[in-house]
Amino acid sequence: MQENSAAERWTQPSRRSVLKMSGVGLAAGTSGIAGCVGTLGGNSVDPVNEDSLTLWHAMGGGLGETLNKIGDEFESETGISIEMEFQDSYENVLTNFLGALDSGKVPDFAQIDSLFAQQVLDTGSVEPVENFLGSEFPIDDYLPNVTEFFAVDGTLQSLPFNNSNAIMYYNQSAFEAAGLDPDDPPATVEEVYNASQALVDAGVVDAGITWPNHVWFVEHWYSTAGQLMFDAKNGHDGEPTTLLTDNATAEGLYEWWRRMADEDLFINPGIEAWGEATSAFLNENAAMLLTSTAFVAGARSGAEDNGFAVDNAFYPTVGEDRVGPVIGGASFFVPADLPDDRREDVGAFLEYMSSPAVQKQWHKGTGYYPIRQAAVDELESEGWFEENPMFRTAMDQLTTAESSPATKRMLVGPARQCQQIVQNTSVDIFNGTVGVEEGLGEMKADVESQFE
Amino acid sequence: MTLLETLTDAPDRTAEYLRDRPGVADLRDRLREDGLALHALLALSILVLVAPVLVATVVSTKELGIVTSLADLAPGSHAVANYRRALVDLEFGQFMLNSFVMSLAIVVGKLTVSVLAALAIVYYRIPYKNAAFLFVLFTLLLPVPVRFVPLFRLVTDLGWDNTMLAITVPYIASATTVFILRQHFLSIPASLVENAKLDGVGPFEFLWHVLVPMSKGVLVGVSVIMFVYAWNQYLWPLVIINDQSQQVVQVGLGLLRGQAQAGDVAWALVMTGSMLTLLPPLVLLALFRKPLLQTFTIQQK
Amino acid sequence: MATREVFESRWEAVGLLVPTVIVSVVFLYLPAVRAVELSFFEVGFGGTSTLVGIENYRQLLASGEYHASVAVSVLFALVVVVGVMAVSLFLTFLIHEVGVGQSLYLVASIWPYALPPAVAGLVFLFLAHPTLGVFTQPIEALGVEVDWFSDGGQALAVVTIAAIWKQVGYNVIFMIAAMNNVPKSLTETARLDGVGRLKRLVRVYVPIMSPTLFFLVIMNTIYAFFGTFAFVQVMTKGGPSGATNILIFDLYRTAFQFYEFGVASAKSVVLFAVVGVLMYVQFRVTEEYAHYGG
Repeated sequence: MQENSAAERWTQPSRRSVLKMSGVGLAAGTSGIAGCVGTLGGNSVDPVNEDSLTLWHAMGGGLGETLNKIGDEFESETGISIEMEFQDSYENVLTNFLGALDSGKVPDFAQIDSLFAQQVLDTGSVEPVENFLGSEFPIDDYLPNVTEFFAVDGTLQSLPFNNSNAIMYYNQSAFEAAGLDPDDPPATVEEVYNASQALVDAGVVDAGITWPNHVWFVEHWYSTAGQLMFDAKNGHDGEPTTLLTDNATAEGLYEWWRRMADEDLFINPGIEAWGEATSAFLNENAAMLLTSTAFVAGARSGAEDNGFAVDNAFYPTVGEDRVGPVIGGASFFVPADLPDDRREDVGAFLEYMSSPAVQKQWHKGTGYYPIRQAAVDELESEGWFEENPMFRTAMDQLTTAESSPATKRMLVGPARQCQQIVQNTSVDIFNGTVGVEEGLGEMKADVESQFE
Repeated sequence: MTLLETLTDAPDRTAEYLRDRPGVADLRDRLREDGLALHALLALSILVLVAPVLVATVVSTKELGIVTSLADLAPGSHAVANYRRALVDLEFGQFMLNSFVMSLAIVVGKLTVSVLAALAIVYYRIPYKNAAFLFVLFTLLLPVPVRFVPLFRLVTDLGWDNTMLAITVPYIASATTVFILRQHFLSIPASLVENAKLDGVGPFEFLWHVLVPMSKGVLVGVSVIMFVYAWNQYLWPLVIINDQSQQVVQVGLGLLRGQAQAGDVAWALVMTGSMLTLLPPLVLLALFRKPLLQTFTIQQK
Repeated sequence: MATREVFESRWEAVGLLVPTVIVSVVFLYLPAVRAVELSFFEVGFGGTSTLVGIENYRQLLASGEYHASVAVSVLFALVVVVGVMAVSLFLTFLIHEVGVGQSLYLVASIWPYALPPAVAGLVFLFLAHPTLGVFTQPIEALGVEVDWFSDGGQALAVVTIAAIWKQVGYNVIFMIAAMNNVPKSLTETARLDGVGRLKRLVRVYVPIMSPTLFFLVIMNTIYAFFGTFAFVQVMTKGGPSGATNILIFDLYRTAFQFYEFGVASAKSVVLFAVVGVLMYVQFRVTEEYAHYGG
């Protein structure tokens, strides 16, 4: 199938180029839409930027600045120009990349949230990055949790770049003011509840904890408990058919979440509202924050600006067990059928971005994991983790994780749809619009209808 | 005095009134006649209407823009820094430029095409005239959302995505503009047109030397309406422009919001961008309010 | 009788109409027709499509989520139209009644016409932000807990208020013209008869202004359905839990986030139909009113 369409690409002039050649767009357009359904589609692609490589990314603020710096260094080292284009959010990069693949005018790289990996693979319009990497490229040097997710059927489909998991940040000054031990943060959601009550009762903050309403956090509660979220091993063993909600993890999670909301111990910053959540934490509206390890650098400077002491801790678990977090973050996808004269440059950029030196720089500037073993080793021997305990905690959470099917993130085609269902129904449940059991039932049924 | 003048020449009317019965004492009389309560009520209503933008303006001069109580509403000292950061460092200037080019192209294109159509509809003896007019008018019911999947495919097949063509050409046909121009042309006395015809003037000379001079106000008015409409477009550029260097200012606001957050949403910068986005249409409205209001009253007939 | 139709050449006329007609056909009519066509197909990524008959419509008919979206949109449109017109009528009447400073008041009221919806949305998001908003504390002092990131009803209310705010200017522009149109003799008589201001507004002005008001009902309905995407996109993303998932937002997401072009086309057709039906009803109601109202 794949080969077939590739062959067609060589033998048939694309409709798009025919249209362009015909020059008068209007007339061609008229016959185009009058034509039969189903003949449109991408047969050849053009880069959005002829003179430069282009990366569409979702790294705002300090993360974006670090990324731009890396891009500048790449340019001066290789003489290849790269345009780093910020596109607001992973959701927007996804939308724009799908649109680009459909229209045929594409960036050379798109930074896609691992959540949407399958959705992008399903388009059949991307090429495995392994094709661009030199034969001696050490794929084995990636941390095992990373390759496990990004290599699909043994092939590295996209280049993992910025990877993280969720972790808990807490305001040590607030803990102290509320009479809590600033060096003994909550480890379970029940302890989060108790600490939140103490913090609010002491009048130190408005609420105990906040995190963005994003499916990633629900995935973490499942994986830390060692509970699969979807059947077929979260979609890594064939196509899943359902969301697993009949378990102690889901029930425990949502009962707790609802209790937290009922008693105003939790601030809901809104759907996919990463910035809002960190704002609530930095402005000391909430004393605890669940967010990405990529916030380590931001947390340090933000807490300093706002005059409080901050530390981080492992993600709070629903039960007593702790298996491990799911890996998140994003990877670079490359569209299929890029012009031949760009392939070498594309490969050079991919190799540059995964080099241990860049991975170290990226990690230090942000808090994303250094995902190459070589980079980790170098950082260890430099004593980086000893000097920077917040980075240490993040790294430990990843490396102490047990390997389990539950810690491999969901890999499903209609990911954007499933994401919306989980997020929307979560609001219904913690808001009390529906009961926990009823809400979970709805969530399950809605997800199942996506797989029909 | 016609209605229209009452509407748009209120200051003149006040002046006239004072000329008839001069004296400041009279103004005081009139104020008394209005009643203080009426003025207070009006002032309050307008304050409510303007307050959000006033607050946003104040916030755009602050450093972080965390304003949690009314007491924090003193202007800050970061106005210049914020506006420069947004325009230069965060590429908001580029978005504004893109929007300007798009809006101007739409205004020029729409105006040209619509003037020609209105000329044909009003001044030519042709069959199926009403049908042609209805054909144009019906497009009012076909806004972008009713057709945007096929439109997306069409525009990308033409290879126009991420170009200025994509966000201008589909807007060029305009029911509203043709309609307004038609109404206006119909209000120009027919005798005047006949005189021109007797002089043996061709259609383009007629257009240029007779119609345009007699339609200046309306042409300015529709231009402002079209500019504001184009400037405020959001959904279609969001869909068809993927390359952010080509993006328009409305969608660019979202990028600014993401860009400005270094862990913390920098609301001051977001409000800076908002005020920059509001400024061009607001200035046009203030400058051309008279022709704009006149044109609107035509539209409704 | 003098005639305006002074030019005879049909070819010239056709030439003048051609640009408008081509653009209308290519970018407006044909895509609209094709949306209807596509709604009977399942469209895969990149354009492969299979005829599925009314399957897409059947899916919409069975989807509770979509029904909720229709209901939210209709409710939203209703409140926006009524709200905008009530506020604007009140404001216009005040301006009309005042003798000094009318022009200034007028300009101060019509400016939201220039306000971009995305800006209106962002400003309101900031002002009414549950934890950071300037207006949040005063409102909470009145005993309302501002929680619209979680509370669907509140979210819809905030989006509605922002949408009304933006549309006031446009309405005042038309209403002031219509109000000035009311013969002075009529209102003067009423005034001398001792009819109070509010009663005069309702009994004298509103009936005479009814053609304008009807025009505005239509324009505001179109605005509520088609012109409010940016508010939802900027403020709530359709949430929480679908509370602000108005049809146009739902349609955008189906088309360009889920990439279900067939279903999205069916949704376009439904949106067109809903607005069409509402227009028809409004026309009928007005006819009725005109009939009895004489």
